[in-house]
Amino acid sequence: MKYVFKRLGFYLIAFIAAITLNFFLPRLMPGDPVQMYLSELYQSGGRIDEATIRAVEELFGFNSSEPLIISYLSYVKNIFTGNWGYSFSNYPQTVLQAMSRGLGWTLFLMGSGLVISFIINTFLGILVAWKRGSKLDTGITVTGQIIANIPSVIIALFLSYTLAYSGIFPRGYAVTPLMVHANTFEFVKDVAYHAFLPVTAIVMMSLGGIMGMRANMINQLGEDYITMGVAKGIHDKKIMFAYCARNALLPVVTTFAMQIGFMLGGSLIIELVFNYPGLGKVMLSAINGRDYPLMQGILLMSTIMMLSANFIADIVILLLDPRIRTEGKRG
Amino acid sequence: MKRILSTIGSFLKNSPKTSIGITLILIMLILTFGAGLFTDHDPLHRYKGEYHSPPSAEHVLGTTRLGRDVLAQTLYGGRTSISVGVFAGAIAVSISLVVGVTAGYFGGIVDNIISAIINIVMVIPQVVLLLIVASMLGGSSPILIATLIGFTSWPFGARVIRAQTMSLRSREFIYSAETLGETKLRRLFVEIMPNMLSMISSAFVGTVIYAIMAQSFLEFIGFGDPLSITWGTMLYNAQNTGALSSGIWWEVLGPSVAIITLGAGLTLINFSIDEISNPKLRAQRFMNSYYKELKKNKKRKEKSQLKLGGNNG
Amino acid sequence: MANVLEVENLSVDYIIAHGRHVRAVDNVSFTIKEGESLGLAGESGCGKSTIANSLLRLHKPPAIISNGKIKINGSDILAMNINELNMFRWNEASMVFQSAMNCLNPVVTLEKQFFELFKTHGITRNKVEAKKMAMDLLELVGIPGDRIKNYPHQFSGGMRQRAVIAMALALKPKLLILDEPTTALDTVVQRDILTRIYELKKELNFSILFITHDISLMMEFCDNIAVMYAGKIVEKASSDKILNAPCHPYAFGLKNSFPSLQGKVEYMEGIKGNPLDLTNIPLGCRFQDRCFNASKTCFEIEPSVTTSSNGFYQCHHPLGNLVEVKHEK
Repeated sequence: MKYVFKRLGFYLIAFIAAITLNFFLPRLMPGDPVQMYLSELYQSGGRIDEATIRAVEELFGFNSSEPLIISYLSYVKNIFTGNWGYSFSNYPQTVLQAMSRGLGWTLFLMGSGLVISFIINTFLGILVAWKRGSKLDTGITVTGQIIANIPSVIIALFLSYTLAYSGIFPRGYAVTPLMVHANTFEFVKDVAYHAFLPVTAIVMMSLGGIMGMRANMINQLGEDYITMGVAKGIHDKKIMFAYCARNALLPVVTTFAMQIGFMLGGSLIIELVFNYPGLGKVMLSAINGRDYPLMQGILLMSTIMMLSANFIADIVILLLDPRIRTEGKRG
Repeated sequence: MKRILSTIGSFLKNSPKTSIGITLILIMLILTFGAGLFTDHDPLHRYKGEYHSPPSAEHVLGTTRLGRDVLAQTLYGGRTSISVGVFAGAIAVSISLVVGVTAGYFGGIVDNIISAIINIVMVIPQVVLLLIVASMLGGSSPILIATLIGFTSWPFGARVIRAQTMSLRSREFIYSAETLGETKLRRLFVEIMPNMLSMISSAFVGTVIYAIMAQSFLEFIGFGDPLSITWGTMLYNAQNTGALSSGIWWEVLGPSVAIITLGAGLTLINFSIDEISNPKLRAQRFMNSYYKELKKNKKRKEKSQLKLGGNNG
Repeated sequence: MANVLEVENLSVDYIIAHGRHVRAVDNVSFTIKEGESLGLAGESGCGKSTIANSLLRLHKPPAIISNGKIKINGSDILAMNINELNMFRWNEASMVFQSAMNCLNPVVTLEKQFFELFKTHGITRNKVEAKKMAMDLLELVGIPGDRIKNYPHQFSGGMRQRAVIAMALALKPKLLILDEPTTALDTVVQRDILTRIYELKKELNFSILFITHDISLMMEFCDNIAVMYAGKIVEKASSDKILNAPCHPYAFGLKNSFPSLQGKVEYMEGIKGNPLDLTNIPLGCRFQDRCFNASKTCFEIEPSVTTSSNGFYQCHHPLGNLVEVKHEK
């Protein structure tokens, strides 16, 4: 239990750090974002007067009359109470509202991608560790790593050109636009059909995990308990799974959680290529519309996603590793 | 001298990963930095009437919407892309090195603070941060992109380097150096760093791979310098001029193949660095070649026995 | 009395580069009878652990058994296929490894580990029965039975070692191989555990191959001792003989390296020189550089094996009945 609280505490601190970063980011950038926004507003024919300037400043959270520390504290309070500000490009929607459209789809895409790639990576990792040194091992590991190192842009474009262009899979969107589905099953089928390519892209992007699992397996294989297991006459397969993999999984779960940040970035790009209505799309329109509050909201939201994923990983490790579970308890 | 060459030679022969990796990288470097040798076209020149034309003898990779030769763009643009990647990698590795070694070597409070910082920075999604900062800076030049990437991708390397430093620090030969009276700093540079060479090069290669990737992200979204030609901006242009929907595959082929080739080469090099520094992996290779020899000899024996049998028939 | 273990001309090589081998164990032969305990002594790197691992074919790459025969209870170990080997292992011969710290699967309870052992070897598939058997085994080595539910990390070092021993004896093997079983423990616990092992040996009637670099321990607990140097057994004899009248200069030097607990403080003679570099084996006897008794023959011709009472030695100039020489300062 102590373990859980320690982790939660860390995540809280990390979150506050992210909020702080968010607060100071516009202030740290060269050039005044408020000015930049106002000049763009002016160029597109908007009216600039005292009230507009004040409104923009407030939207940005810049209140020149208040001391910095007060602004900061009220910003933090706002974040925790759910007031994330208004989205410029989607006025009068709030940032949270603007994000909510895309959040669900992104979670779905990333969630499926995560689960599938975890399963594939783990099994392939065990397989290549078992046959380590063989051509199969080198083939899978090297190819997997090379594919994983290809920018997700290219993976997505490649899939798009080959499979979507030829009509096997849809070109984009999460569901066929304007279609009303007969029943839930049809809906699920349609969603899966549209999600296939993006999820494949995510899985391809994460193939680097094979090497991690393999390395862990190989490290474990050098341990004494493996030798003793073999000496006890336990069969090869059982050693691989019950002894080796079971222990090798633990560090993999941690690294996996770390990699989610990277996966998030890649999946945003994938969403762009496939026109998927997730956070990526929201991000793009925010960037094009210079919608800083929305962008900052996305940063915070993705940080929360990272932290939650890490937290889930921590719980998983707690369940899997008795050494952490029984910390301090001696029989 | 001859011995060094022959050792290198046999090493390359026995390790296909290294030889293929180095070859790929060399090919890319030659093609891009020696672009003039491979194409006569100017990457920025618009050929009137040749919009979106498919590959032909004149334009080996076809042309873009604006009539520019894709091959020329790929080759000349590669120079910028590669330079940015290497530059960003250098920045990131330098930062990781300083941070990681300081944390690992000095330990105590310094380590605690630095580790906390590393952990927190790692939890914030790098790519999203990158996009936001790029957006706030309002568009960028390649150098800016390189700096940005460099300054946001150091945590991974720092962690690994810190771990390695800590494990090296408690090894015996450091203690003996201390007993001999070497100062802390000298121990750091003379004893510890050389042992981390493989880790540092591996981190460097990894970061360059990531930098090329991040570069293509940023430019694809539109943060590249619209006036410069790089692999990422080529993809951006392709996307925006509707190459995707019109089936203009050659425009995407150029930069994609280039990135994949370079990425593959770097990845292979990373593998071979691993192999060189990890004796267990090396031992594995020896065992494999030993078993191969055994098999070969067995087969040879069987073959000659068959021959004998056949002759008697 | 039958031979529990027969090792004939065993050679084990390590592959260090393309086409290059280092011979860690060179043409070694010895036997262990039923109920006998043999100690295998020597410096680090002399090949004793390599031999121990090869007996059950547990050696890891880059080691390979290049030559020889190993027979345990009459069964030819090197001829077995993997299934036969798996049934054989632990059943007829088991091993206690050096670092009990890491020997047990850290994420599985002791209870489950015992059960897995019984299930694999067809002793029982009944969980309750297995638990009872496991608890009995733990009691045998002095661990309270209710700790069967614990994970390995919840035991102290000494207890973990005992648990490993209990597991090693679970299938009532005929041969127990102890590879430096007490090196990681303090002297009090060491003695405790070894005494218990020897009591169990008498009760359950198994043979022991005891590997350690601590000759004094061996002399107390073993019937016979084989001394190894640079991959060869240079002398094998009863422990009394090795203690009082060793034939080989190396055995002599080893025995003289242990100061006695009582008596005068005296100047100790170690063994001069460094362990042999196995990639650079000289002509003649391997011990030539470090021997105080070496002659010209020793640098040219390798000594052949000479049998003696209950053993053998390999030396041109055995020490015979030399009384121990001590230097007094």
